[in-house]
Amino acid sequence: MSSAVEVRPKGTRAWLGTGATHIVLIVASVFMVFPFIWQILMSLSTNAQVTSVPPTVWPGELHWENFAHVFDQLPFLNQFWVSVAVTVIRTVGQLLLCSMAGYAFARMDFPFKRTIFGLVLAILMVPPQVYLLPQYQIVQGLGWLNTIAGIAAPGIFSAFGTFLMRQFFLGLPDELSEAARLDGANHFQIFWKVMLPLAKPGLSALAIITVLASWNDLLWPLIVATDSTQMPLSAGIATLTSQRSIPDYPLLLAASLLAMAPVLILFLIMQKRVIDGIAFSGMK
Amino acid sequence: MRKAMLAAGAAVAAAALLAGCSSTSGSGSDATADTNLSATISYAFWDSNQKPAMDALIKDFNKTYPKIKVTEQITPYQNFFTKLQTQGSSKTLPDVFWMNGPNFQLYASNDMLEPIGSGIDPSNYPASLNELYSYDGKQYGAPKDFDTIGVYYNKAIFDKAGVAYPTANWTWDEFHQKAKAISDKLKGDGIYGVASGLSGGQEVYYNTILQAGGSIISKDGKKSGYSDPKSIKGLQFVRDLIADGSSPTPSQLSDTPQDQWFINGKSAMFWSGTWVNAELLGSPVKDSIALAPLPKDERSATVIHGLANVVAKSSKNKPAAVAFQTYLAGKKAAEIQAQMGAANPAYNDTQQAFVKSAPWDLNIFLTEAKDSSFPYPISKNTAAWNKLESDLLPDAFDGKRPVAEVAKELAEKMNAALAKE
Amino acid sequence: MMSTSTITGKAGAVATTAAPATTGRGGRRRPSRGSSRAKKTEWLWAAVFVLPLLFGVVVFYIWPIIRNAYFSFTTWGVFGGATWSGLNNYETLLADPMFWRSILNTLIYVGFLLLGIPLAVVFASLINRPGLRFASVYRTAFFLPYVAMPAAVSMVWRIIFNGDFGMLNYVLSLVGIKGPNWLSTEWIALIAVGIVGMWISVGFNLIVLSAGMKGIPPEMYEASSLDGASRLRQFFSITVPLLSPSIFFVSVMTVITGFQLFDLLYALMGTQNPAINNTQSMVYLFFQHQQTGDNGYAAAVGMAILVLVGVFTILQFRMQKRWVNYV
Repeated sequence: MSSAVEVRPKGTRAWLGTGATHIVLIVASVFMVFPFIWQILMSLSTNAQVTSVPPTVWPGELHWENFAHVFDQLPFLNQFWVSVAVTVIRTVGQLLLCSMAGYAFARMDFPFKRTIFGLVLAILMVPPQVYLLPQYQIVQGLGWLNTIAGIAAPGIFSAFGTFLMRQFFLGLPDELSEAARLDGANHFQIFWKVMLPLAKPGLSALAIITVLASWNDLLWPLIVATDSTQMPLSAGIATLTSQRSIPDYPLLLAASLLAMAPVLILFLIMQKRVIDGIAFSGMK
Repeated sequence: MRKAMLAAGAAVAAAALLAGCSSTSGSGSDATADTNLSATISYAFWDSNQKPAMDALIKDFNKTYPKIKVTEQITPYQNFFTKLQTQGSSKTLPDVFWMNGPNFQLYASNDMLEPIGSGIDPSNYPASLNELYSYDGKQYGAPKDFDTIGVYYNKAIFDKAGVAYPTANWTWDEFHQKAKAISDKLKGDGIYGVASGLSGGQEVYYNTILQAGGSIISKDGKKSGYSDPKSIKGLQFVRDLIADGSSPTPSQLSDTPQDQWFINGKSAMFWSGTWVNAELLGSPVKDSIALAPLPKDERSATVIHGLANVVAKSSKNKPAAVAFQTYLAGKKAAEIQAQMGAANPAYNDTQQAFVKSAPWDLNIFLTEAKDSSFPYPISKNTAAWNKLESDLLPDAFDGKRPVAEVAKELAEKMNAALAKE
Repeated sequence: MMSTSTITGKAGAVATTAAPATTGRGGRRRPSRGSSRAKKTEWLWAAVFVLPLLFGVVVFYIWPIIRNAYFSFTTWGVFGGATWSGLNNYETLLADPMFWRSILNTLIYVGFLLLGIPLAVVFASLINRPGLRFASVYRTAFFLPYVAMPAAVSMVWRIIFNGDFGMLNYVLSLVGIKGPNWLSTEWIALIAVGIVGMWISVGFNLIVLSAGMKGIPPEMYEASSLDGASRLRQFFSITVPLLSPSIFFVSVMTVITGFQLFDLLYALMGTQNPAINNTQSMVYLFFQHQQTGDNGYAAAVGMAILVLVGVFTILQFRMQKRWVNYV
């Protein structure tokens, strides 16, 4: 069975329903999107226009050079690759570790399961600044200061990811694993061949969220990385702010748009391929 | 103070001969004369606007010390000291880094800093700055730049409101009158007489307190000056400006910072330092800008503050680090900073290039530094009572609570915090 | 995902051949495996699955929390020098009106975020309607706030919320309302921050809920349409109950991340804002005390946050039974 089966309602009443749906969604979407439209406009303006009060919305002349300027101010490509490397490591790490752990919490029995899960969840309940110094010292001890490994390491172990995968695995019916078990499969085979494919929606949700969290992560990379070529984009852009005077808004906003672009493109691709067309296969 | 000297006596003599240094009043390690020294050191700072100048300085430094590689570590200001603390707690401090007044004593009192190199002569810098960066009788910071506060004003708005320009010796009353007159006249256009920053005291209230004859903290850093009636008078002056509409409210100033009001022609005056220079030069109102000294009450006064370059005690490349610090504290480095418009250098008589960078009279800042400057108020844990200031004072400025009451509460709490140090 | 045998008319109850849900955590207790040897094998496998994650969690996260707990009983300066002070910090904490105010502020903010969840459910069900044109466009639009760099986004919102020259007050002035200084007035600032928080989190919620929705077979909607059920009825009797595990997840995460409010507050308001003292969240309070060198006290605040969030989370897990259906 495919969830792409069209169940187009028929009749005028149904047509009105669809129309109303679109109107609601359009209004909501505009609210979601208008700050970005403005951000784009501001990135194409001059700083004087951005800081003019009342704000100048339309810049008149479009200053595309602001985007080129970003590459002068930042080692953009270096930082881009750092962002990519850190994100890939974190995401792959999480997909693996969290799906395994989530599976165990959802579908296996072992002593203190609840307590351990609670412990894992608890790490989300403390302010992140609590972790800063201890993690810094651990990473320092490993000799990973100012390296991609050092930036990526703590983020591989995610309570959020584990929780998410646990929920998804809980929602899968027992029949499948029972059937596989009767066929003589062990836990790992069941996990790898049966359960994991079914949890694709969960995995893709986790992937997208992890990619974003890692891409926009700021404080930790700033503390761990000292060279600007070893920083991810998020940290690099932050260094463009200044202490007191008004920052160069167009530069900052242009930089942040450029930084946002890769992830947005990734989302668009993933959305079409994974979320849209998922065939949620059930029993064969 | 010369114990380090005795131990390295011979080296000092040799260094003095070779480098031709005359006075050696820094009590730290020698600036190495070994120009062949090979090392890699890190230099941490926060203002990416000053990066071009720092690059130039490093390049120039390498002319004398070609084998010392200096890597820059730029961290945005709001995270700089968090990162520094983390580094300090794990002995991974950068070799040389910027330091500012409020944070200085924390690092000095915890033995994290190296006294300034022997090749650095404090008499080259304003006395207040040397004082700011000294702790327990030793100086740890080599002053880099400095700021005093002046009144930038917009001649065009003054003309429009028919108000006379500020004079060199103007008083509080004159200032207030002018501000009020402009506000009253141009209120319809949304223009205020003065819009100055109330976040932190450097721009306004530290100065008004000092001008009224009061103080923020005692010289020994143990007692708060806020309960002094003269200090209260200084605070009241600020409240009065807001109360009669000469100035926007703290909330308005929080939403829109003072420089934004000014560069958009929505305020006629604002109290600020050299750091806004570049911005003003690029603003739409630049042709109407002039600078006046701060108005006086009982006396003329301004706080002086500036950054310093410090060397980490835990540095593994001390000779190289000290060499770099000494270079940065020197005349050539100061001139480069001035020429590049990066900052107003601290080295005496090097500021001319900077002064020339704008059509308004930047000499006022220098005169104030010499004649009427007071060191920026700090203590070992400046952050603790700075927080009290920003917690309590807005209510006084807003008129929600009487100024005297707030000031006394602030003094009380500040004394409690100081006692803990 | 489930057998298409019977679909009852009762809200949420669908007949399956699986064992009924029993435990409070929503976990199914599988029929006992019998031999203890089989049990031990299961434990071994569980270890293989869980240990890699657990190892990292303990080293990088649990250990720091334990350290923090220790420091909350000390007076701890910036560069070490922690001296034992027992329950001092906690006593001061409980007597500190700023602490209670920060709890209130945080709760209000969490409230805003929770309000966003029903919105996200509605939007998710609208977007995921089979055959809806432009679905991916809408989804992208909703997701955008979450993609953006918080710092940049906050800049734009600051300009929008600006009391004197901002877009919002300009629009309000067109209808004769004089808007306040949104981000620098007590209480109102919290609302502004809440709005932005909601704006950002809808995207996140939408992703998770959409993934959950993909698991609802269309046949259920078909069948109930044939039975004559209206869209609205379908929403409440099919969508919501079957989506409940995802909704549960989203609400637990919302509470947890809502309590961690800091970055948004810092970016939108800044430390020198006259209203920040009254609008601070618990994590902001933690941050402030760290900044002023009162690290022991800050640690105590951190532990208080842990306890509070922990209690809320446990409550949510307990209440799962009543409304979450794991089929």
